[in-house]
Amino acid sequence: MNASIIGQMAVSGALMGLVYALIAYGFQLTYATSKSINFGQGELVMISAFFSLTLTNLGLPYWAMVPGGLLFGAIMGLVVERAGVRLALEQKSEGWILLSIIIGLFFFSAAENIWGRDDRPFPTPISADPIHVLGVDVTRLELSVAVGVLGIMGLIELFKRSTLLGKAFEAVSADRDAAELMGISATRTVMLSYGLSGAVAALAGILVSPITTVGPTMATALILKAFSVAVVAGLDSGFGVVLIGMFLGALESLSSFYLGSGWREAPGLVLLILALAVRPMGVFGKAVIRKV
Amino acid sequence: MKRILLLRGAELIVFACLATIPLLVVNPYALGLLTLLAIYGILLIGLDVTVGYLGQVNLGHVAFLGLGAYAAGLAVTRFGLGMGPALVAAMGVGLVLGSLLALPALRLEGPQFALATLSFAALSTTALNELEGITGGAQGLSLSRPQILGHVLTPSLFYWLCMALLAVVWMLMRNLLASQWGRAFEALRDSPIATDAMGVGTYRHKVAAFALGSSLGGLAGGLYAFNFEYLQPQSFTYDLMIILLLGVVLGGRKSLWGAFVGASVIVLLPNLLSNRHLFQIFSGLGFALALGAGLRGLVKKTTRPFQALAPVVAMGILVVGGLLVENTENWRKAIFALMLFSVVVGLPEGLMGFLSIFLAKLFRVPHAPLPVPTDIETLLPPHAADGSPLLVLEDLKRHFGGVRAVDGLSLTIRSGTIHGLIGPNGSGKSTVVNVISGLYTPSSGRILLRGAVLPSGSLYRVSKAGVARTFQNLQLFGELTALENVMVALRGVYRSPLPLVLLGLARPEERRAQADALCLLDRIGLKDQALTKAKDLTYGAQRFLEVARALARKPDLLILDEPAAGLAHPDVVQLIEIIRRVHRRGISILLIEHHMDVVSELCDVVTVLDGGKVIAEGTPDEVKRDPKVVEAYLGQPAGPSEPSLGGAEPLPA
Amino acid sequence: MLQVEDLHAGYGASEVLTGTTLSVKKGTLVALIGANGAGKTTTMRAISGSLKPGRGRVVLDGQEVQGLDASRIARLGLAHAPEGRKVFGPLSVEDNLLLGAYSRLPRFFGFRTKAQADLNRVYDLFPRLRDRARQASGTLSGGEQQMLAIGRALMARPKVMLLDEPSMGLAPVIVQEVFRTIRRLKEEGITLLLVEQFAKSALEVADYAYVMEHGRIAVEGTPDELSRNERVIAAYLG
Repeated sequence: MNASIIGQMAVSGALMGLVYALIAYGFQLTYATSKSINFGQGELVMISAFFSLTLTNLGLPYWAMVPGGLLFGAIMGLVVERAGVRLALEQKSEGWILLSIIIGLFFFSAAENIWGRDDRPFPTPISADPIHVLGVDVTRLELSVAVGVLGIMGLIELFKRSTLLGKAFEAVSADRDAAELMGISATRTVMLSYGLSGAVAALAGILVSPITTVGPTMATALILKAFSVAVVAGLDSGFGVVLIGMFLGALESLSSFYLGSGWREAPGLVLLILALAVRPMGVFGKAVIRKV
Repeated sequence: MKRILLLRGAELIVFACLATIPLLVVNPYALGLLTLLAIYGILLIGLDVTVGYLGQVNLGHVAFLGLGAYAAGLAVTRFGLGMGPALVAAMGVGLVLGSLLALPALRLEGPQFALATLSFAALSTTALNELEGITGGAQGLSLSRPQILGHVLTPSLFYWLCMALLAVVWMLMRNLLASQWGRAFEALRDSPIATDAMGVGTYRHKVAAFALGSSLGGLAGGLYAFNFEYLQPQSFTYDLMIILLLGVVLGGRKSLWGAFVGASVIVLLPNLLSNRHLFQIFSGLGFALALGAGLRGLVKKTTRPFQALAPVVAMGILVVGGLLVENTENWRKAIFALMLFSVVVGLPEGLMGFLSIFLAKLFRVPHAPLPVPTDIETLLPPHAADGSPLLVLEDLKRHFGGVRAVDGLSLTIRSGTIHGLIGPNGSGKSTVVNVISGLYTPSSGRILLRGAVLPSGSLYRVSKAGVARTFQNLQLFGELTALENVMVALRGVYRSPLPLVLLGLARPEERRAQADALCLLDRIGLKDQALTKAKDLTYGAQRFLEVARALARKPDLLILDEPAAGLAHPDVVQLIEIIRRVHRRGISILLIEHHMDVVSELCDVVTVLDGGKVIAEGTPDEVKRDPKVVEAYLGQPAGPSEPSLGGAEPLPA
Repeated sequence: MLQVEDLHAGYGASEVLTGTTLSVKKGTLVALIGANGAGKTTTMRAISGSLKPGRGRVVLDGQEVQGLDASRIARLGLAHAPEGRKVFGPLSVEDNLLLGAYSRLPRFFGFRTKAQADLNRVYDLFPRLRDRARQASGTLSGGEQQMLAIGRALMARPKVMLLDEPSMGLAPVIVQEVFRTIRRLKEEGITLLLVEQFAKSALEVADYAYVMEHGRIAVEGTPDELSRNERVIAAYLG
């Protein structure tokens, strides 16, 4: 087997894996502030991608569409928080699991009817011509994924570190009650985290759609892998998701090649179950002390 | 008696009606629907075990339906087995795979558990699709219903088979859930920590529950295969899983009737959607219900505004949508979503939950009379208390990062004594208790019980070794009654093997358990409140209940972790009396307390902790006068002229 | 500045506070002492909003605040340095201090310059914090964390500061340092409500004191009066 082909597949896969990492990063944002994640995040990616497609079809240039798509994603994130998460958090229950699934289902159905069930191509000004980098061929499009993912993650981390609001975000993640005593509204901070998570999901959709096309099924395809990455890396592991994402992406690419495309999902799923069994807090996560 | 007659009567009537249907109804379509009702009934009963009793979101159940179906299908087509063995194979596949999934998945809580089950479901679908050689892949698998004893199974006969199986499953599950198993499932949902501490293995029960649910899923799968006589992997999707959850939640969790009602809804749903007129009526009704319930909740202030209004909005969307949309079939997922949303937010206990409160008021059936309490001498014969060392801590240490909560603690508790452990806030008392009882492992040092090393890091094993405890922050099983809380912890009573329990033949044991539990409740003065849910008891009663529950373990050593915390004075007096009674049984007690009057009254020996180390030990009087102790509690004076608190040096609590 | 009237509060089935009444005059230090389990920390939490009271009133500078969210009450001028210090471990010392002034500062940029004067004031009071300004606060010693918690509360320029068991878990030498600091705060004219387990130390610094027992005030008075009162001893002995 030609080593360069393996390398090729691994690199392509790893770049796709960055998309999973980005969605997983979105999970981390909401988990940090509220110990909850949006189980319908895949649908959120999908409708944001569709919305962005509509914006493009309405004549908006690409670089104006992107912020529009991100804004839409953020708003959808806020909807999920208000409708699905807040009540459960107030009642200190885990009802948000089921409620976020339900909201995702609603989004799915709406998308099916508004945009149809077919996969549609997503236009982009970035070229899909391969360029030769370090012995492998990558397209500019694939590279743009890397730039987009790392870029937004970097931006959000910068926000967390250099603005006071960002520090408040970290404070609520560290100790919600103490943060409230400082005058920081934990509820508003949770809203912020869901808004950011939604925007991040939208960007993931925009980045990946030119490569994989937009369609209702993209939701389920992406989400399980993003879950795998989030859980295997650990829901509080920060940039660990990038490493695990790339690893999983490469693994998937290779297994698809060797085992057939139907088995593509399998390594991620098996890895997820194993990781949950052996190290529930994740490879890079921190163990939790039980308090009685 | 009346109660049992009423409940069993209702069940009998319903099943009798169902049994006669094929004789009356000629429409094969209707018969097919009812057959499906039975199959989904079994499926939902299985799902209810994890969703209702364990309180977890299980997204993998649909996989067991599919795997069971294919198992039965393959058993017939490849191995030429008959229907009986095929159904057994289907159940077996559900049981085995369910256990395999449960072992890793049930170490997790909430969201991670949901994710693990979701992954399993996705993995199963992939496997069914890809293993084309075996399953036929996306092409599907055709099979025909095998004969039973030479008879071809007509739709009527098949219907009777499904109903019969539903009735059997119903009966077995009813018996199981009314036994210590059912109590254990509910207990571990309310407090997994206390469940382990009371000697009921949380993990093993969770695995058993899950395996049980998935084997029922497998059985339903087998029947499903014989019903449709054609299988394809695409039938067992995430969408179906959501519908199943809808059924369980709408019907009512923790309820066999709820599963039945839920199954009815699921079966009727497609018809509801295809008929636009019917849908509009239904959604209108739903909207009216949501509005009524919401307004009632707002006025009576029993629900938050969001909880009252959100279902109204959701059902409103449904009504408006029904009027505007051409083809409701296209929007079926959105319709399910809106329905499920309304139910989860507005009617969390489901239709049966709601109905049962209503019916209970209507019929006012009294509970079956409780047996005579066992005699305390039989239940807890006095231990020999000879003053020999019972529990020995050798240089125990426990660190949390840089914090040395326990820093070299050596302590001996003698058999038959009440040993007090006191110290200011942050001195390490709670950590010591948590290490001994097995919640934490020691960082170093040993614990010996009767000379043998006590298992560490496992509440369950420490409990089995003969150490019982109460908790500083109450860990009662809130949804269980006071009687049931104690019954969960009873040791040595539940000896009947599982098959007997399933068949309902373990009743005498159950009566004995009730009698034993009543005896203990009597000792603490709660006999009259035996049937009150633990969460509805007064705070003082709850504290006493924890003591009775720990006593049910018949322990050699009883650890009481701040039992008087927050108690009003009269309750403190009663607590002291309860502890004395326990002590007279020869049970050794380790008492952690702040209330100095309790400590002085009861303790033979007191150990004082500060900063994770022992600073004094002796009788309560000796310890009160020790200057190091006074300093630890009162603090050192900073300036030369300090106000002194009275003549003697008092020991603050 | 702060009045508490007939406060009732609890956790679930248990009612811990059964009618607590106390008041703190502007510029004074009031101590709340009592045995463990008497309800001191619960009182603090009910005042600052971490716990919603069932009944009763809390009046801050003339405004009723009972039942409001904790973050709202904080923004109205109440700073609560909670039991166990609760610093934001992963964040630096300076970040913790900045967050103390959250309600007063711009959210995005320019907050550091605006807060500089207050930061300097805190650093002058606690020079060791200046040395460790960039260090993650979770790595500080117990005593330093306590200084940080107090400094954080000061940053809010609060009308009233609640100090909950500042000496808990600290070595005696450090405890003395903490109380020296509290004395300095008093000199600066800060209005303080202090909860302490160590009665002696608290009574030394207080202008007025309340003794809690079983969820309500059993005795109150000046430290002089209380030191001669046998009821105080009884409150501790139970």
